[in-house]
Amino acid sequence: MEIIEENQSGINIFKLNGRLDSNTSQGFEKKIFQAIDDGSKSMIIDFKDLEYISSAGLRVILKATKALKREEGKMMLCDMQDYVKEVFEIAGFDSFLRIVGTMDDAIQSF
Amino acid sequence: MAKNKVSFKLKSKLSELDTLCQHLERFGQSIGLSPKCIFEANLALDELFTNIITYGFNDKKEHTIEVTISHQNNKLIFNIEDDGIPFNPTKVDTPDLECTIEECKIGGLGIHLAKNLMDEVCYQRCKKKNILTLKKNIKEAEPAKKRMKG
Repeated sequence: MEIIEENQSGINIFKLNGRLDSNTSQGFEKKIFQAIDDGSKSMIIDFKDLEYISSAGLRVILKATKALKREEGKMMLCDMQDYVKEVFEIAGFDSFLRIVGTMDDAIQSF
Repeated sequence: MAKNKVSFKLKSKLSELDTLCQHLERFGQSIGLSPKCIFEANLALDELFTNIITYGFNDKKEHTIEVTISHQNNKLIFNIEDDGIPFNPTKVDTPDLECTIEECKIGGLGIHLAKNLMDEVCYQRCKKKNILTLKKNIKEAEPAKKRMKG
């Protein structure tokens, strides 16, 4: 899996490309927690090029969202493919994570 | 003609998730499954395989997990066999899905996903092996069937 990190007006953006499973989730966890440790309070995860996610990926997103919330920060998720979104729905995560359609919607929410 | 059955062996390491995905994609494409169906089957098998290799073995030895996938009568049938400690995923409680973010726990979520994406999940312990049989109904390529009721 490839993770591209960008910063746009103080928002940390993570663009995920490929497959987020138990084999690749550790690398993602490291990167996202590095940003939280560095003081990031605004994050967007861009799912546009993510083909696959398993519960290992959901776990990292949940953990990071909780950590950001403790710091009074905010995380937005955007541009998910239908199958990927369905995984969040089956898990019940769509009730407390903030999932929006496009990157623009995500940026405007800050 | 497309073969309607494939068997393969996976080693007990996470990098084998890629091998699992490749086999599934190849088989799925050969019988004309939709990308959504391949994705769902992949996710269910991934969760159960990850569970087996994370919790199933008490030793440091490499184990083999055998997977068979077959297609018959609009059904996909998956068989997963491992020689790990006895574990019946069908007995795992469903996590509380109505919880708030603070209460949300991740335990049991993988199995919950797998059960949700399959129509049947059966477990047997036989000859010191865990045998999981999963069934998934697949729709025909064309929306030929219309619901008669409702």
